[in-house]
Amino acid sequence: MSAPPLAATPGLARAYRPRRRRALRLARHGLLYAVLVAGALVMMIPFLWMVVTSLKTRAEVFGTSPLVFPTGLHFENYTNMWNAFPNDVTFGTFFANSLKLALLCTAGQLVTSSMAAYAFAVIPFRGRGPLFGILLATLIIPFQVVLVPNFILYRTLPHPFSESGNWIGTMEPLWVGAWLGGAFGTFLLRQFFLAIPQELADAARVDGANPWQIFTRIYMPLARPALATLAIFTFMWTWNDLLSPLIYLQDLDQYTTTVGLAFFQGQHVGKWPEMMAGALLSLLPMIVLFVVAQKYFVRGIALSGLKG
Amino acid sequence: MTALRRRAAPGPTPRRRGGGPVAAEARWAWLFLAPTLIGLAILSAGPILATFGISLTAWDLLTPPEWVSLENYAALVQDERFLVALRNTTFYTVVSVPLGMTLALGLALALNRGIRGIAWVRTAYFLPVVTSATAVGLVWAWIYAPSGGILNLLIGVLGLPPQKWVSDPFWAMPAIVMMSVWQGLGTSVIIFLAGLQAIPQEYYDAAAVDGAGRWARLRSVTLPLLTPSIFFTGILSLIGAFQVFDQVYVLARPGKPTEATVTLVYFIYENGFKNFKMGYAAAASWVLFLIVAVLTFVYFRSQRRWVHYQ
Repeated sequence: MSAPPLAATPGLARAYRPRRRRALRLARHGLLYAVLVAGALVMMIPFLWMVVTSLKTRAEVFGTSPLVFPTGLHFENYTNMWNAFPNDVTFGTFFANSLKLALLCTAGQLVTSSMAAYAFAVIPFRGRGPLFGILLATLIIPFQVVLVPNFILYRTLPHPFSESGNWIGTMEPLWVGAWLGGAFGTFLLRQFFLAIPQELADAARVDGANPWQIFTRIYMPLARPALATLAIFTFMWTWNDLLSPLIYLQDLDQYTTTVGLAFFQGQHVGKWPEMMAGALLSLLPMIVLFVVAQKYFVRGIALSGLKG
Repeated sequence: MTALRRRAAPGPTPRRRGGGPVAAEARWAWLFLAPTLIGLAILSAGPILATFGISLTAWDLLTPPEWVSLENYAALVQDERFLVALRNTTFYTVVSVPLGMTLALGLALALNRGIRGIAWVRTAYFLPVVTSATAVGLVWAWIYAPSGGILNLLIGVLGLPPQKWVSDPFWAMPAIVMMSVWQGLGTSVIIFLAGLQAIPQEYYDAAAVDGAGRWARLRSVTLPLLTPSIFFTGILSLIGAFQVFDQVYVLARPGKPTEATVTLVYFIYENGFKNFKMGYAAAASWVLFLIVAVLTFVYFRSQRRWVHYQ
């Protein structure tokens, strides 16, 4: 406010203004920083609350204020949760199932999406544009819209080992589809493949390489960052999915961590410490993956957002 | 047979000039696309039509489907629970999408500076994105718990009476919105940050030369150039909002504490996979598809009026 009169006396303004501005900027930064850190803490509260609750006894959870320190670290909540299931099933069973599905889906998406992405990015063929358009359109359609026909399809497919004789009640519906391409992965990898100079492929072609060799020896090695992003996203989506396993799985020994948790919640009302222990265990792989590979997460979201 | 062989062989043929190596490569393209095409036909694009077909039948999976024409749709319009689901999903979308986007925009603007240590702060905002709604839903159920829950303790400190949250018809949907906004914030922030970093510094320099202040720069440089990101986040959030299920299933399974949290996808799940009314569930699915398709179409059409591409 007092700046204009000061500017009239040049010497004074020069001496005064920079310092004032720096102080102002420091104050503004400080305030911003405080707000951001406070917000970050608010964001972390559910996780902290999860950890704290998982180490308390049930009496402490209900009896005392949350700020009172627990009487000790009650790790038995974790073992209780782990062993809370009938018929030799433990929480470890759910873990193994989730891991198996996540790995199968990730592998399937990496292979089949990258193949489709290569065709769309590198090989000219008739109908390429419209076909890519159709694939992109499926990105917009909620997968819940096709749940009923998919369920009916899997119900008609014969299965040698299932009780029903079809795919319902088996884990197959949860991963086989991942081996049949995917709009997100194809889109992501196509963007990446388009940025690879065509001359590389041309040179290999002159040397007598066929498209499969060009794909596996030139494009795939170069696309490693994009493949990592797709792998992480597919892993995350499979690991976190609730609706599909809920629909297709029937036996406890096939449950994934999400269905297992929901099952536990239904069976043991009010056992918050054990529930938090289980929830935390089921989150750990994703949290570790995120901390290790944050770069790829951010890139994946940003990349898919660049060209909507 | 021999004629077919000859035509398929990539060797020298009289018509080589027309396609030759290009035609041979095109054949490779279909090989590369085979899994995707099968997936499109039987798992994603094809089943959309199948959903409509099934929606015209009454089918319990035990007896053969029975043609009922549009009866399922007529029944949906009369079904109180479906209308509640529609209303809840709309409420969820209308509240969570603008709220989430506004918060994310403010946050992205604040995070988009070279303040030291900000990477750690950023991680805190992104972390909920990677966690499953089931697991964090459990902790939110505990936060909202009427007895012992931390939220009631917090508002008790402020002198407000305790609430039943997810078991309360009024608070149930807002409670679910709050958890979802918390969980989804990071995705939008990342997209906004990428958009912000793509704005060339020259625009800001030019604006500064013209004497534009902080506020003017935000209004006439940052926001217009961020509209593609805002557009994209909008469509992601919109489609995501109509799919809300996990949070509802874990936080407040409709019918258990209250009917107030049944959503469209929950309605589909319940009718299709608990009651095995396939035709009815398919009709509800088709309604969901139509809503999303129409909204997406209108949203894309609106793009011309407010989205500025550089």
